Formats: sequence, structure tokens, C-alpha cells
Amino acid sequence: MKKQLLAAAILAAMATMQAQAGTLDDGNLSISGFGTVGVAQSNSDTAQFVRYNQSEGVADSPRIGLDTNLGLQATYKMNDWLSGTVQVLSRKGPQGNFGTDVTWAFLKAKINDEVSVRVGRVVVPTFLISDYQNVGYANTMMRPPIELYAQNPIENSDGADINYQKAFGDLNFTAQAFVGVSRGKLFVSSGSGSVATYRAPAAGISVSGEYGPFVVRAAHARADMEIDDITSLNTLSSTLTTVGFGKLASDLNFKDGKKIAFTSVGMTMDWNNIVLQAEYAQRRAKEPVYLADTNAWYTMAGYRVGKFVPYYAHAAVKGAGSSVSVPASFAAAPAALRGAVNTLTGAQEQTTDLVGVRWDFAKSVALKVQLDRVKPKAKSGYLIHAPAAGTTKAINVVAVGLDFVF
Amino acid sequence: MKKTIIASVLLATLGAAALPASAEVVVIVSPKNPASRMFSEQASQFFLGKSNLFTPVDLPENSAVRTEFYKKVADKDTAQVKALWSKLVFTGKATAPKEYASAAEVKKAVAADPKAIGYIEKSAVDDTVKVILTLP
Repeated sequence: MKKQLLAAAILAAMATMQAQAGTLDDGNLSISGFGTVGVAQSNSDTAQFVRYNQSEGVADSPRIGLDTNLGLQATYKMNDWLSGTVQVLSRKGPQGNFGTDVTWAFLKAKINDEVSVRVGRVVVPTFLISDYQNVGYANTMMRPPIELYAQNPIENSDGADINYQKAFGDLNFTAQAFVGVSRGKLFVSSGSGSVATYRAPAAGISVSGEYGPFVVRAAHARADMEIDDITSLNTLSSTLTTVGFGKLASDLNFKDGKKIAFTSVGMTMDWNNIVLQAEYAQRRAKEPVYLADTNAWYTMAGYRVGKFVPYYAHAAVKGAGSSVSVPASFAAAPAALRGAVNTLTGAQEQTTDLVGVRWDFAKSVALKVQLDRVKPKAKSGYLIHAPAAGTTKAINVVAVGLDFVF
Repeated sequence: MKKTIIASVLLATLGAAALPASAEVVVIVSPKNPASRMFSEQASQFFLGKSNLFTPVDLPENSAVRTEFYKKVADKDTAQVKALWSKLVFTGKATAPKEYASAAEVKKAVAADPKAIGYIEKSAVDDTVKVILTLP
């Protein structure tokens, strides 16, 4: 019942906004939006499948929270070179309910035809589709592969960015650099699950080249993550300190701020009905912290047949070691403590094979059906609310979603 | 003999005119715009949001000329173009082209702005605008 009300509210909001878009558009103000109405279910109640940073996922009964979202955006053009944009996004997040975040809020100054500067809140372009991953209509797949997109915990930053765009013959070159401070809440899946608050000064750069149907992109970003309210980690830290491993305790946690680097290369191709998208990313801790180093990648191939795009993708994430070196004397510590540290510093590993189809059946609306075969490996992969001992049982997740823009 | 040829040419022309699918689409700019010729690859850059040098203006989404224009200039259908613009609009990188209800309104908007670029059916061209590309 509650869900039906929500769906009705979303549809009503859509209709209202659409009606207003016409009346409010005085030539300088434009209102637009995007969203997805989706339902998903898996074949297992051992653990739950989620999008990144959701605290409630899908198990063996249908749920709308996985993919359903609604984004509204207003842009006001003050003059030829200055404009302001605000975007809010409602979706299911780290605190279990549908919440609304301000995802973008910036003033944009166009310096010339090639350069623009934005000041305010922008989504950080860590990976290939990071800044439009919530816009279902702009993507072929139903959702960004969690194996790669969960590597970066930060979503947006308050600061500034600069965009550069120039054509060199047939090559279109773009570059973006940002600097700012990111703040937000993260769902921590260990134990029964908890929500932590982080603050992270961050900076990064991305460059991309487009040549005919090919786009190649490379990016590097760094964040200095500071979190001091991960309950389970704090408990472990104080135990370690009590038994004389204070250095190890401070190495493990995020209390004093720990630098993490993200490096990625990605490509897309849309040529003669063949649609490809592939990406590889590395996460590396630059200071000792429990969060494991990882390598992640995915590749997607689709073929356009009229208004249908059937596609297949494979995604994987693997551990690439830990930045924490355990002192030799720790071998004498209680087995339970050693086990806890060992588990904590290990990486979540998982692979997914997925098939789906996108159908552009009407104006500004696309219907998607996607089936994911998720194989959790170490630490139950990215499944949440898993048994304490972990699960490696593969699950199937089927989802249907309607993406729209207006 | 000559008359027969003229007559058949006339008939063929009439036949072609009656078929909207074969209508020629032209890309237009303001007469004040210094550009005189353009390749379709260049024109598509503006209409797909890859260059800010010119400001594109659109016909309504249900316009047959619009469908034909994007098919000819970029080999993309309306939904593909919409998905491309969604990436730019919802990341604050660009604003979607403004839509004008008819060829007459597109001409008015293009004539008024030296940076504007539009497209209309060839038969609607007059001297308020300059044709820089013809898409057969």
C-alpha cells in the first residue's frame, strides 16, 4: 500500500512538473527531470542484492526500492555566460527509506566557447558514467555494475570544477578537473549494518577523446577520507589498543583521514548498431587503512535491432592486497583478534554476468528488463545482510524498469 | 520528344514533392554568420552537444523533418539523440536545444541570433536565413 502511494506520488510529481515546464519556461528557466520506476526480485533470501550505498536490498520477494528514483533539475540562465543549476534526486539510500539529496547545485560561468567553470556542488566524475549513473534513460544497462561503481564511496563534492572542450580535426577532446570537499553517509554492511558519516577533501581529473563512434576516457581522483563513527571498527580499535597494538588500530581506521586513489580507463562505441562499453578501475590506499585495494572491470556488448538493444555484460572485482602491515608481534595475539583483523582487511570479491534488453517503445520512455547472475566470493561480495560466515551462493536477480526523461 | 521529357521531369518532380520522405532538409544560419559551407559531420557536432561554437535550435519531437534531419546528419533516431542529450543535461554540461513549433519560427530564431544553427525543409528557405548545408 505504502509503495503504491509512493508510485502514485512519483507519477503525480512527474505530471505536475511536465505541466509546469511549459508555463515556467520564460526562455531563461528550464525545468527537466528523469526517473525510473522499477521492480526487482532475486531467487534467494540468504543475502540481499543492492545498488551501492543502499541499506535494504532485494531478496526473494518483489521490491521497488532497488532501481526506482526521481530526479528534478532546474537551470536558470542569467545571461550569455552565467547560469545556475540545482538537481535533487530521490532514491533509496543508506538509511533504508527513500531520501532526497541535492546532487548538483552550482553556478556555471562560461569563460569562452571551450572553457567553463562551475562553483558549488558537482558529482565527481571518478568513473566513466559516474556523473549520470542515476539517469536510467541515458544508460544502456539497468544500473551501473556494482563491482566497479562501488569502488568509490564519494558521490559529489562542494567546491569547483573546470571543463574544457575542443575539436582537433575529427577528434573531440574534453577535460575536467575538480577540487572540493565531499560529505555524506555511507552504509557499512558489517555486522547487522550501520550508517557512518564521512568527510573527504577530494580532487581529480578526467580526459576523454571522441573520434567518430569511439569514446576513450581516463581519470584519476584522490580523496582524503575521514570517518570516525564506524561502530564495529571503533570497538575493534579499542580492543587492539588495550592489548598493545595502538599503531595497528590507528592504521586500520579512517579517524585521521586516509588518502585513497582511484584510477580508471573506459571506452564506449556505438557503431553500425553495435554498442560497446568497457571500463577498468583500480582503488589504492595511499596511507594504511583497513579498506582493501581492488581492481575492478566490466565489459558490455549490445546490438541495436530497431528500437531494441539486447545486451550482455560481465563484471568482476578482485582484491589487490592491503595497505596495512600487521606487526610480527601480532602473531601472539588471540586468534579471534587476528581473525577479525584478517577479515577486515580482506577485499569483497564478486563477479556478475547479466543479460538485458532496452526497448525505446515511446517518446522519452524506455523499458528495460535485466537478469543478473551474481556470484559472491570473498566476504559475500557486495551482497548485504549475509550470514556471518559469508555466502558464496550465486543468486539470480530479475528486474523490470521504466526509464523516463522530461 | 522534348515536351515528353519536360513533362516526365515535371511529373517526377511532383511525385518527389508529394513524398515527404524524400524532402530535402537544409541546415541554416543567420546571414550575419560568417560560415558559408559546412559538412554534415560538423553540423552534427552542434546538434549532438559536442561543440558550443553554434547554438542549435530544434523542431518539435513529433516533426518528420526533425526525424529525417537526425537520421541524415548523424544516423541516429530520436530516442538515441534524446539519450545523448540526457547525459549532457543531467550532468549540467549543456542545455538541450530550444524547440520551435514550425519552420517559420526556426527561421525567425536563426535570423535573430548570429550564433544560432537550425534545420528546415528546403522549400521553406527564404532570404532571412542562409543555407550552409543541404542534406539530400
